[in-house]
Amino acid sequence: MLTYNPDDTLAHRLDPRSKLAVQLGFAATALAHTSVRALLALSVVTAFVLLIARVPPLETLYAYRFALVFLALAPLLAGLTLGSPWFDLADAGASGRASYRVLLILLVSAAYVRSTPVRASRAAIQRTIPGKPGQLLGIGVALIFRFLPVLQADLRTIRDAMAARLGDERGVLDRASTLGLLGLTRAFDRADRLALAMQARCFAWNPTLPALAFSRTDYPVLVAAVVLALTAFV
Amino acid sequence: MATERNSVDLVDGDVVRQFARAAMLAALIGASVFVTIPNPFSPAPITLQVLFVFLAGLVLGPVWGPISLLLYLTAGAVGIPVFSGFEAGIGPLFGATGGYLWSYPIAAAVIGLVVHRGTDLRDPAAVALPIVVGALVAGTIIIYGMGTAYAAWLLELAAWEAIAGFALPFIPGEILKMVAAIVIVRSGRIEPVQS
Repeated sequence: MLTYNPDDTLAHRLDPRSKLAVQLGFAATALAHTSVRALLALSVVTAFVLLIARVPPLETLYAYRFALVFLALAPLLAGLTLGSPWFDLADAGASGRASYRVLLILLVSAAYVRSTPVRASRAAIQRTIPGKPGQLLGIGVALIFRFLPVLQADLRTIRDAMAARLGDERGVLDRASTLGLLGLTRAFDRADRLALAMQARCFAWNPTLPALAFSRTDYPVLVAAVVLALTAFV
Repeated sequence: MATERNSVDLVDGDVVRQFARAAMLAALIGASVFVTIPNPFSPAPITLQVLFVFLAGLVLGPVWGPISLLLYLTAGAVGIPVFSGFEAGIGPLFGATGGYLWSYPIAAAVIGLVVHRGTDLRDPAAVALPIVVGALVAGTIIIYGMGTAYAAWLLELAAWEAIAGFALPFIPGEILKMVAAIVIVRSGRIEPVQS
């Protein structure tokens, strides 16, 4: 699984906002180009980003294995034709180049995930998006991070309890609706208790945030982000 | 360090309750990733995520349902492993299945609007069955329409190729999730927050 990994690389020291900007710039230009030359250039940028963030490539590819299945499927689907010549290489090639750029976008985003703790992302969200929407988004992300393992444990408990009562031999619909209903009632019970607890602690629209500051190294990265985004129009 | 010195601006009780539910539902969508049903028609397994997208629209309504899904997408984008296959990052939002992810908030909003007919929440167990079914079908069409259209554009596929690879293998699973969503709201055990 792809998660934050504490380290002291250049990518770890950058401000999350400049890293987000680079990803968006990279995605914009990758979505605009599929020529072999552009893909080569994008591959070089990707390799550079992975190197800077010290991302292990094989582990990352394995983490994205579900996405890779779809990306591998696309050229096959595009190439298959009914009737002669049965497999159209030109179509498959075009689709293959298109899915390769998606792989590059995935790898660049892996560098962000590996080098940015969730609390830094949260601060970036709340400082970038003004007002109440930013507050709700930031706090929501923090709550999801906190409650994800709790709700996973809930679902696991429900599944184990069903299995102990031979519930795993029932039909798929029965299992899915039982798991969905129990999962949702438990999650909402937790939500109601959480809401009460937040109100008891003066849940407010204007709390104090952790400090974020651009360092000297952030400025060249921001410039790179803008350049990447502009190459989408080249 | 910048400290706010204004007086505390408390969040209203209704908003806190709805917000907590939206965040928990978003976390539940992420948690449900590990529950997979093998799909005989595709290498990608069936997950229960869309079931919770349906429930977000049905139970949280047209305002907080989409907010819940936006929280889910943001959480995934910043690196919490909530996307299918425990994936995370901005990459999946632009990847082959990105169209599906972006369609979730819209589908939840449409389902909420059809079922609740406005922003005041009704008990979905009391809504006529054809309306609920119609809302879920509309939501499914939005999810698969956006999902396959984006995949076709991104991967340079013809329309039928995208439908064969990204929609048809999942239709049986979708029908299952629609029925499960109806069973869950009809059980009467989940009540919307009354404002």
